[in-house]
Amino acid sequence: MKYAVLIAALAIACAYSADNVFAEEGALRIISLAPSTTEILFELGLGDSVVGVSTMCNYPSAALAKEKVGTFSQPDYEKIVSLKPTVVFATGLEQAFTVGKLKELGIRVVVSDPSDFNELFESIRKIARIGNKEAAAERLIRGMELELRSIDSRIALIPEQQRTTVFIEIWYQPLMTAGRNSFINDMVRRAGGRNIAYDSVRPYSYFSVEEIIRRDPACIIIGYMTKADNEAGIGNRLGWKDIAAVRDRRIYNDIPPDMLLRPGPRAAQAVEKIFKRLYPQETL
Amino acid sequence: MPVLRIEKLSGGYGASDVIHDVSFDVEKKDFLGIIGPNGSGKSTLLRLISRILSPAQGSIALQEKDIHRIRLKDLFKEIAFVPQNTIIHFPYTVWEIVLMGRIPHLNRFRSETRKDFEIAERSLALTDSLVLKDKRIDELSAGERQRVLISKALAQEPQVILLDEPTSHLDIGHQIEILSLLRKLNRESGLTVLAVLHDLNLAGEYCNRLILIDKGKIIRQGLPAEVLTYQTIEEVYKTVVVVKENPFSHKPYIILIPK
Amino acid sequence: MKNRTKLLLLLSALIIAVILGISKGSVSIPFVELFQRQNSAILQLRLSRIVVGILVGAGLGISGVIFQALLRNPLAEPYVLGVSSGAGLGAVIGMLFGASGIPIQICAFLGAVLSIALVYTLAREGSKIPIQSLTLLGVTVAVLFSGIIVFLVSISSNESMYGIMWWLLGSLAVFNLNAMIFVAFAVIIGSVTAYFYSRELNAISLGEEEAVHLGIEVETTKKILFVLSSLITASIVCVAGIIPFVGLIIPHMVRLLVGPNHAILIPASAIVGAMFLILCDIISRSAVPPLEIPIGIITSLIGGAIFIVLMRQTRKVK
Repeated sequence: MKYAVLIAALAIACAYSADNVFAEEGALRIISLAPSTTEILFELGLGDSVVGVSTMCNYPSAALAKEKVGTFSQPDYEKIVSLKPTVVFATGLEQAFTVGKLKELGIRVVVSDPSDFNELFESIRKIARIGNKEAAAERLIRGMELELRSIDSRIALIPEQQRTTVFIEIWYQPLMTAGRNSFINDMVRRAGGRNIAYDSVRPYSYFSVEEIIRRDPACIIIGYMTKADNEAGIGNRLGWKDIAAVRDRRIYNDIPPDMLLRPGPRAAQAVEKIFKRLYPQETL
Repeated sequence: MPVLRIEKLSGGYGASDVIHDVSFDVEKKDFLGIIGPNGSGKSTLLRLISRILSPAQGSIALQEKDIHRIRLKDLFKEIAFVPQNTIIHFPYTVWEIVLMGRIPHLNRFRSETRKDFEIAERSLALTDSLVLKDKRIDELSAGERQRVLISKALAQEPQVILLDEPTSHLDIGHQIEILSLLRKLNRESGLTVLAVLHDLNLAGEYCNRLILIDKGKIIRQGLPAEVLTYQTIEEVYKTVVVVKENPFSHKPYIILIPK
Repeated sequence: MKNRTKLLLLLSALIIAVILGISKGSVSIPFVELFQRQNSAILQLRLSRIVVGILVGAGLGISGVIFQALLRNPLAEPYVLGVSSGAGLGAVIGMLFGASGIPIQICAFLGAVLSIALVYTLAREGSKIPIQSLTLLGVTVAVLFSGIIVFLVSISSNESMYGIMWWLLGSLAVFNLNAMIFVAFAVIIGSVTAYFYSRELNAISLGEEEAVHLGIEVETTKKILFVLSSLITASIVCVAGIIPFVGLIIPHMVRLLVGPNHAILIPASAIVGAMFLILCDIISRSAVPPLEIPIGIITSLIGGAIFIVLMRQTRKVK
């Protein structure tokens, strides 16, 4: 009996140390080029290992004090190299080009570009493994899952056909929306909404005004990266005034873009906010 | 052996011929003038001889060698061309322009030698333009530019110099100056001159032979006195004139009769 | 002032620019400390940018000189025959078909070469290349290809298409050694060959007829020089993107300094082009740290300003 326990303990110890082998040797020096990843890093308790962030990484406030290594899309290679990072986190899309250049410089780059909550959780786990914070990751994920499940149970009672239709406006000139491979699409879905641009494959694409009018969304959610126009502006657009969302004044631009557009620790809170606007009659 | 032999030459710019069945010889030390009304094909003829245009029919031979069989570079060691329009848009110095005349003689990978510089200097001296050597070409008067371009042509050390209306943009003083220069080069250096001229009096004065062209065909060729008769001029230029003799040079001299 | 003296002066100015380029950056490090072991990564970064800057600046400068001489058009510049949009289209198509085995630079280079061949074939009349047709067709093909690029990017779901936009803005951040060697090869061979065609270029600048009258095979020379400068430009574009204005104003600036004789214009344009690009790169890196302003913006701003000043100068002289 004693030997069995000993062998089991040894096996667990081996497994654990095997995991350690994949962790970085020496001090962990992290640079994050994506605001969402920065939030995850701090949430996992890796804030101290972060040596550089992009200028857009503004949350939590501790991130503001970190060394800036360039904008979201134009990194300062010299700064990055001088900080001697052991790993750089980036997203895909606009940063794809940068990722290539950093790899040419021999820097380890980890790309995370989750398009739904499952991928987000995987991404959080991957980041946690690099920093040896698996436990914190599981806590974070569980917290988010709980929030999501409470919304799930309330939506479950609403039949598919009656779920609120939504148009997600990412930008207005030209008019852009989020298709079904975007994270914000999954947020809307988990909040019980139906994205009228569901048939658009690209995460972000142009959308025709005529289709919006035809599909007549009940709500419009504004997701600009910067401060948005007010609802009146949208109502004044030619041909828009008969859209249900405009008629019923259900244009929501008051969800902070920092929360809405980042697949990060506050994503579940964002879903909560979306849910409240889609179903104002539901109370918590 | 004639320096240039043109035989049954026909050609033009495109599908249609401007020059029809033209034949003549150019002998060494000739000062040959090509004259004719506007649009008669004088410039075209010159360009056929200078290989800018390809003949549709006929042949042009330099010392009995077909000019189209001679390597372009070698051809222009023997022939030089002075264009009508002398305006150059870039501020090259006179020296740089004249040195360009040495290009047919130069090897791509070697720079100009002392011999080239000497020839360039001598060419400038021959046209009394040495003093202009370091000036920029766009600072010169029309007459000075013309002289510089002649120097450039001389730097090629040609046997024959072709000129396309060398005096049409010049005032009378410069006209005489340029033609006298060409006469001097013709007599003293043995340079064969073939010039398109539009002024009949100047042509009669300075050329030892004339070719009168109209509508692409040779009407008359020969000594100035033979070509510049009042009948011929009336027939070609459709205007009445009287031909006298210049009291100083005894060359034909055309008097205009206004209508 | 003798030509040789002028060239030496320009070369010294270039060396100063290089030293400046090594010492300036978004991270302040005293010059001497740069050469220490711990800063070797940054030094390497800056050096690679400077080397690329020299190659690109010299290449664009010389290419601009050749195009202006051959097309006898003071507004001609290396991208006038559609090289840049050809390269862009090649890169986009390469990305579209996920040709992950073939590096994007090769696709871009092929695109550039094919677009030049297209323009050339369309403009050709028998064995001659009339320069007016060439210029017009070059502009047309460039616009056409640009339109196709935008169209392809807008309908594609391939995420790396976003990178195309940044690549098109131009950047000296080339860290791939093979790419650098490729550009060096093209630029050096192209430039040296161009230098040995100085006399032909001088003659052609007087007029194509004038050049024939000096025994120059003009059509052959034009073909060789077009191919040469197009290859120089294509190699630069597919590695460093599109950097505007350099090929346009450097020849004008240098002509004002050293005159129109190509024997000195070509080497001087290489030196001044290199210097200009290094200085623009310094500004792009250190004007608003840690932001890096795309170098195309700097060259456009400064190049445009210089061009206006030049124009006013020449007008005053007239």
